[in-house]
Amino acid sequence: MDDNTLILMLFGSLLLGAMGVTAFIWGLKTGQFDDEKKFMQGLLYDGEDELREAAAKEKRVEEAKKTVSADSGEQVGK
Amino acid sequence: MSKIHCSHCGLEFEETAMIADNIGNEKLFFCCKGCQGVYHLLKDEGLDSFYDKRANYTLEPPKEGYSESSRFDLDSFVSKYVTKKDGFSEVSLIIEGIHCSACVWLNERVISRLEGVIEANINFTNNKAKIVWDGNRLKLSTIIDKIRSIGYNAYPYDAKSQEELANKERKSGYLKLIVGIFATMNIMWIALALYLGYFIGIEKSHENILHLAEWMLATVTLFYSGSTFYKGAYYAAKNRSVSMDTLVATGASLVYAYSVYAAMTSKNEVYFDSVTMIITFVLAGKFLETMSKKQAVDILDKLGSHIPTEAMVIRDNEKILLPLDSIAIGDIIELKSGDHGAIDGIVVSGEADFDESSITGESEPIAKTPGDIILSGSAILNGVVRYKTTKDFSNSNFSIILRLLEDSLSKKPNIENMANSLSRYFSVTILALAFITFMAHFFILGKTFESSLIISVSVIVIACPCALALATPIASVVGVAVAARKGIIFKASSAIEKLAKASILFVDKTGTLTEGRPQVVRQVAVKEYDKALLIALLSSSKHPVAKSLHEYVGGKESNIVAVNIKELKSRGIEAEIGGKLLVGGNSAFLIEKGISVSNDFESASFLFAIDKEVCDVYWLKDKPRGDAKSAIQNIKALGIEVVMLTGDNAANAREVAQELGIVNYFYSLKPEEKLNFITTAQSAGKLVVMVGDGINDTVALARADVSVSLSSASDVSVATADVVLLNSNMTGLADSFIIGKNTYNVIKQNILFSLIYNLITVPIAVMGFIIPPVAAVSMSFSSIIVVLNSVRLKGKKV
Repeated sequence: MDDNTLILMLFGSLLLGAMGVTAFIWGLKTGQFDDEKKFMQGLLYDGEDELREAAAKEKRVEEAKKTVSADSGEQVGK
Repeated sequence: MSKIHCSHCGLEFEETAMIADNIGNEKLFFCCKGCQGVYHLLKDEGLDSFYDKRANYTLEPPKEGYSESSRFDLDSFVSKYVTKKDGFSEVSLIIEGIHCSACVWLNERVISRLEGVIEANINFTNNKAKIVWDGNRLKLSTIIDKIRSIGYNAYPYDAKSQEELANKERKSGYLKLIVGIFATMNIMWIALALYLGYFIGIEKSHENILHLAEWMLATVTLFYSGSTFYKGAYYAAKNRSVSMDTLVATGASLVYAYSVYAAMTSKNEVYFDSVTMIITFVLAGKFLETMSKKQAVDILDKLGSHIPTEAMVIRDNEKILLPLDSIAIGDIIELKSGDHGAIDGIVVSGEADFDESSITGESEPIAKTPGDIILSGSAILNGVVRYKTTKDFSNSNFSIILRLLEDSLSKKPNIENMANSLSRYFSVTILALAFITFMAHFFILGKTFESSLIISVSVIVIACPCALALATPIASVVGVAVAARKGIIFKASSAIEKLAKASILFVDKTGTLTEGRPQVVRQVAVKEYDKALLIALLSSSKHPVAKSLHEYVGGKESNIVAVNIKELKSRGIEAEIGGKLLVGGNSAFLIEKGISVSNDFESASFLFAIDKEVCDVYWLKDKPRGDAKSAIQNIKALGIEVVMLTGDNAANAREVAQELGIVNYFYSLKPEEKLNFITTAQSAGKLVVMVGDGINDTVALARADVSVSLSSASDVSVATADVVLLNSNMTGLADSFIIGKNTYNVIKQNILFSLIYNLITVPIAVMGFIIPPVAAVSMSFSSIIVVLNSVRLKGKKV
């Protein structure tokens, strides 16, 4: 076995392993594992109604944000 | 007479008791107006798919009588619980009444639909809700009202609390451990090649590549995961002491530096695998300890649920809701049934029964009439009372208790566990030994600088305190698990070792040694009569004696309508049913009513008479728990002194103490006096364990070395306690002592083993016979033995 093969195998496997660990750490940090019930049962509440509600909610949030920044923009302007 | 389900909450009731409703073609039944109201509300909002989602889960019917929601808009509340982010308001709430994920779905839906709500996220597992809304367009009280309208309740939760901080710490510890484990596992298979190479030869270029890989993994481990030890060593150095962290930090760094040198000069063996192993093993031990560390609870928040943050004040004949700090001396406060008095004062008008058990420990309600003193912290049971404040909030009884509590918590002694105290001597000894070894080999034996260095480094490597570091955490974790299976929750594993060293136990009486409620101990039936009449009379009273009797005679809901019900505080009840005059109460009450009571029955707690003739006589007492006697004996057999402390009167105290075989007991104690017993014992050098349940015990509990509480206790006690007995019996208390002793024995064995092991291997290292494979194997071996020994705890009989 020559050097290049060894390097390839060794660092290739380490890299793959590191990718896995990084993904796990990302999941921990962003709180993916915090709510185990939602994880299991969230899929029960994923129908068309929910999608529509979610889209409507996003629209409302954006508009609310616009009015808030408009308000604070006005105040800053003054 | 068939039973049907309520269309909203799903609970079963007799058909005749239900409210019938017709919507279109459907015939629906509801158990109460609350359920009916919620059903229509959901239907109107188009959320009736909730009932499909609810499936077969049952809910609670909506409750009434919540406190004013306008308190959520008061400044004092807002500044404490509401944070501002990007111009929006954010609050964390806990939603009460959630039984299934459908409820969570419903709440999220309903709250999000309110105008002005930006985000409503509810955690399915712990029912914590995070709500973000536009403070200008929507008031928080509107949100709370909406939650209540669909049958749930919400109360605030301080997201900045210490609990959150502790969680963050735990998470970061977990991440460091994951990285360490990843590095160690990979380094092991890389090192294997190098070990073989040591014996059968390996090409230089291959060796260098493997060294490089090992170096990368070791670097990440040392500087990311190992940062815990650098911090710990730094703090120890600041306090001019040496701890296990110092040994691990210096040891790992020295070994790492040497290995880098060896790798670059390509002449000797590297010890990168030992570096990662030391760090990972000891970190695992630390992590186990952090995982079981008690979450620092914000006591003020917990106690706050017992007293409101505002009160109804009468000023110029108007009722206003004021925060407690703005209430002055001389203000008139009105209390309704269920309220808690927050400020000391004297009754001006009205009459009611008060429950002072949380302050004094007395289980019987006390009647208060104009001129009587109201203590802050007591609860009003029935009636309406107006009283004038004699002190302001910060000087009231309750605030004083709160301050005592905070003080106690900060002064709680911190007894170091055995392993930590040993590790100090251990660290110094090993570092000194390594230095001496280097000197000896270099100067006396005349070896090269390099060889001497290798040998002294190997001394540090082999003395790796893995076993010592793992000795306590592993045994504690197993001990905690064994206890949990028996219904004993140890919130901090350090409590296990402390229990084993305990020399004195202080026990509260009411609610701990006794059931906490009066129970029937004797009955004399004088005449035959229809028991339903008694039940009807009893169900009209909320008095503890009436409630206990009600349970004793059957406890069913009464269908009979009683008229002219008159309840005279703490004396008795009278009512008219079907033309018959029913009277129930103590003998003094009956005599007042003109009923003759024979001498035998004078001491009875409750006599029942129909039409002026005594039919039934009961004696009730707050009985000690069934297993209390044997538990106390078992604890005494372990050599622990048992002392009873109670706020109740001398007669009751003497009775219980004699029945249970407790020699030392003290009665009529105030919370501060209970605390004094604890501090006196502690200054006499004793390790104090305290068992209690009410708020009047909290101050003493906070100061004791180990605090134990029953799960039936007030939530403040449960939150402060180190140990919680889920089964609320005294056998659990005795068991926890035994488990503590067993666990401590295992810890001692573990420590002994790790010391003996080091005694054998260190001389070998000093003589220069250690090579990397030997170091790695010995480290793993010692750790495994400690783990196996600890697992033995599971099989031990309690």
